[in-house]
Amino acid sequence: MKFLQSNESILFFILALLCIFLSFYNPQFYSIQNIHSILRSSSTVMIVAFGMTILLTSGEVDLSVGALMSFVTVIVMDVINISGSIALGLIAVFGFCLLIGLINGLVRTVLNVNSLIATLAMMLILQGSVYVYSMAAIYNTHLIPLFSFIGQGFFLNIPMPVVIMLIILPFFVVLLNFTRYGRYFSAIGSNPDAAKLSGINNNRYKVIGFVITSLLVGVSGVILASLMDTGQQGSAKGFELIVIAAVLLGGTSFMGGRGTIIGTILGILILKIIDNGIILMRIPQEFQLIVPGVILILAVYFDGIRRKNSD
Amino acid sequence: MALGEKIVININFKELKIESVSKSFPGVQALDNVSMKIASGKVHALMGENGAGKSTLIKILAGAYSKDSGDISFDENKLNIRNPNDSLNYGIKVVYQEISLISEFSVAENIFLDNFPTNNLGIINWNKLYKDTEELFNRIGFDLNPKSKISDLSISQQQMVEIAKAVFKNASLVIMDEPTSSLTPNEIDKLFTVIKNLKQNNIAILYVTHKIDEIFQIADEVTVLRDGQHISNKLISESSEETIIKDMVGRTVNATFERPVDISSAKTVMKVKQISSKNKINNVSFDLHEGEILGFFGLMGAGRTELAKAIFGYDKITEGYVEINNNNYKSFNTSTMVNNGVGYITEDRKGEGIVKDMNLRENMSLPSLKIFEDLFIINKKREKNAADDYIKKFSVKTPSSERLITLLSGGNQQKVLVSRWLIRELKIIILDEPTRGVDIGAKTEVLSLINDLAKEGLSVLLMTSEMNDLLSLSDRILVMADGKISKEFYRGNVNQEEIFKASVS
Amino acid sequence: MNNILRYLRKGELALFVIFLIVFVVFSFSSEYFFTLRNIMNVSGQMSIILIAAIGFSVLLIAGEVDISIGSLLAFVSIPLIETMNITGSVPLGIILCLVFGILIGLINGFFSVYLGVSSLIVTLGMLFILRGAVYLYTGQRAIPDELMSDFFFYIGNGKFMGTIPYAAIIGLVILLVFIFVMRNTSYGRKLYAVGGNQEVARLAGYNIKLLKLSAFVICSFLSSISAIILASRIGSANHVAGDLFEFQVVAAVVLGGVSLAGGIGSLTGAAIGVLILSVISNGLGLLNIDTQWQLVVNGVIIIIAVGFDELKRNRSL
Repeated sequence: MKFLQSNESILFFILALLCIFLSFYNPQFYSIQNIHSILRSSSTVMIVAFGMTILLTSGEVDLSVGALMSFVTVIVMDVINISGSIALGLIAVFGFCLLIGLINGLVRTVLNVNSLIATLAMMLILQGSVYVYSMAAIYNTHLIPLFSFIGQGFFLNIPMPVVIMLIILPFFVVLLNFTRYGRYFSAIGSNPDAAKLSGINNNRYKVIGFVITSLLVGVSGVILASLMDTGQQGSAKGFELIVIAAVLLGGTSFMGGRGTIIGTILGILILKIIDNGIILMRIPQEFQLIVPGVILILAVYFDGIRRKNSD
Repeated sequence: MALGEKIVININFKELKIESVSKSFPGVQALDNVSMKIASGKVHALMGENGAGKSTLIKILAGAYSKDSGDISFDENKLNIRNPNDSLNYGIKVVYQEISLISEFSVAENIFLDNFPTNNLGIINWNKLYKDTEELFNRIGFDLNPKSKISDLSISQQQMVEIAKAVFKNASLVIMDEPTSSLTPNEIDKLFTVIKNLKQNNIAILYVTHKIDEIFQIADEVTVLRDGQHISNKLISESSEETIIKDMVGRTVNATFERPVDISSAKTVMKVKQISSKNKINNVSFDLHEGEILGFFGLMGAGRTELAKAIFGYDKITEGYVEINNNNYKSFNTSTMVNNGVGYITEDRKGEGIVKDMNLRENMSLPSLKIFEDLFIINKKREKNAADDYIKKFSVKTPSSERLITLLSGGNQQKVLVSRWLIRELKIIILDEPTRGVDIGAKTEVLSLINDLAKEGLSVLLMTSEMNDLLSLSDRILVMADGKISKEFYRGNVNQEEIFKASVS
Repeated sequence: MNNILRYLRKGELALFVIFLIVFVVFSFSSEYFFTLRNIMNVSGQMSIILIAAIGFSVLLIAGEVDISIGSLLAFVSIPLIETMNITGSVPLGIILCLVFGILIGLINGFFSVYLGVSSLIVTLGMLFILRGAVYLYTGQRAIPDELMSDFFFYIGNGKFMGTIPYAAIIGLVILLVFIFVMRNTSYGRKLYAVGGNQEVARLAGYNIKLLKLSAFVICSFLSSISAIILASRIGSANHVAGDLFEFQVVAAVVLGGVSLAGGIGSLTGAAIGVLILSVISNGLGLLNIDTQWQLVVNGVIIIIAVGFDELKRNRSL
């Protein structure tokens, strides 16, 4: 079966070991509540990570996703509070995300600014302007049940964020593995000149990558706002780093050319279960910052070694 | 000799002797028993077509390649060149075509890059730095301000800095690889003055060039290589432009293909009208007919690859247009051309051709994925069948179409890249140096493939510096020099020497 | 004056003009802006960013980057304050703080240079690790300076002759030293060469790895000095200190013309970049404009500065 590549089976194995270890250590690990909580917090990361996988595959990166997500929680809460309409809230969010994605993509392709710097700058701009938009957190005053359902509800006993993620997931698995666009993204990341000389419009697909990522941030941001029942300025701070660390851990290359959605999912589950384990084992929560830092460095280090061996 | 020990040699020598040096690469004998002598205080020109073995010889002297057999010696002292450092210690300095200087630094800083004059605290003595540079410049006749920043200098001035950097310490032999390729006539004069000064300092100079007229101005002796063999060695006073060209071109064309007699009455498939680009191309026009093989000849730097890339939409054109399928394109990109049935095979297979993270099948289908789609989804079975067809057709040596492209040999990778375009409906193919790095046996195979394709109605733009390929295949030959088309030849009315002359004009 | 003008080369002169314009505009908009008190105030505040920016520029010039300096600021202030609190010795605290800074620089450099992991990733990971470690140690509470030494207080708050902040003097001395080192020592020139064209530097026989490692150490070391001044000003080791600090520094340095591609730029330029951003934030503050606008301004400035740099380079190709 080609579906699980060797790298993914290693991740799967690590994941299984973690689960077995934790369930022995603390049987609570397998409680429905705990599993729901792991899956719920994984879903928001996964949704954004689908876009980040595409971007990294095409050799780009977006550091502004965390700041954008915080901004989205504020916008969606505010607009629904004012208008009383979820539809209007969503339109505002996705319109805004579309705009930010376009700007990121155009600064990258037209001004030719390294995407790391371009999106870092966008991160600063969003972080500042969200406070300009509103200094205080925005609380849910509309109390529309459907809105709370998005993040907190269940469908067939599955948390809604997971349902949303599962609806989006197949689209990206198919996109990356079975359509020509998936091939284009990896060709652009692996050898941009060869891609261009094969008649691919590299810049167009790069812009599309940035836009898709921003729109997915919109989805995750709405879920987060519903979960917290607030729109908060710093609610997704540091989110970009967790997403990137997970995608790289999943086997997508920082140098472009290779991306896997399944690997990304496994990477996120591993990080989230470690997070969960840290709580279950009563290890200080601060390790939730330290562990992804260490894992990020190691994952890229091993990626480098893997590349050297395959050359 | 212990490792790390500095080789101390006497730089005073009468001549550098190269005796029976051979070097082979898989499938190619790059140098075959080549001998020559380079006298100190003389300029020795080394000439030959592309692939004659000049660069292999330079790289052996520079320590970048190791020779298979033969000897290199200063007078009677044999040299033991194992790596670039050894070569530098013997005083062998190469000035390459590409400038390799720190562009933010001053002239003096670049020359003394490996040994800044400093006090005990590591603080640079700027006065000494500039004075030493000035002294060096006086000795070799440079006229340059040591304090100027490299990025403010012209190319020729930068080249002079390269030369100064090469000779400021114990230089015995200075090798100049196409030093005038990017210089204006005025700058060339300056360079020659410098070379004459180097001669007076008893430095031997190996001057590698394509440009025949130059060697009559500057060289004392000329050696011609062809197909890795030493052909002739004459004093410059005893040779003429005609004899040198004859020596360089030499052989008669061995595999001439049958071509349809009158191609020009076939319909025009592409019109290129007065196009220019930022990348060298200057007012180029031509028509391409159905089934025609249109050859482009030009020396290194003449603008062949740049022309190919401009036509294909990789580089933007600044003036003119390309007409294809009754559409005029002034501003277009590669996907415009691909959609119009144009394909491109690069000379830089590794850098611009293969996608190394992909397997053979994915590399082959990259520009043609649309034809394998069933409603957005790629039909892998059809894709694989198509790949298998071409693996069979070109007998690509691979266990399956799923093998990673990087695991294939260069020749087989090239076959995959050709298949990449044949898999789809194609009207025009642009081939940039299709036989570069291909061994003699496979070469004929590639050439007859091109001939067959053209017979089936495909139009071919053949960019090459291989005279042999050009003459045996082309229906028409356009010679390029300095980004322009300098002359046009028709099949049956061609003369190698004239082509060569047109390309150096 | 002529000498000064020659010293500020063309690009830097343009920056200096921008600075003057900003200065004049604010002087007219706020009566407090152009007062000795405010100017001295700004010079003290900016020295924290300036000193770190010097180290950051040295590292960028050598062709590498360190985005963990914000977390480092919080991290190294812990040994500083804790040592002072426990031993009662200010010098010991400072030494330990600097030693930790150097160690972190060595670790960053080791992973980037010797193990070949992109320095951006290494220091991104380090950014997490250090901040996590700070939260872990402090329990997310500031550790107050209990020693209350006058000497330590004066580092960040004292003024020479009652007017010039000591912090500004420290910053200026470090700036002048490093301007000299980068311009006039073979070590400084080698860093430029390594960042500018690594292949040429290799051919010139430089020990590229060691040179780059030293630049990592300089960056962390100088950031630790910033940490000492900051700790003195706020009187504690604060777990959120240095949040977004790395981005402020990147903005200033890139604005000052130090290229992310390595080998290009000067410390004079970087210092002017710091000056401009500090004056803008001070001026905006005096005009009662939301401080969050600073972030927006910084972001826009980065895009413009880097985009302009790219356009310039593409044109010269």
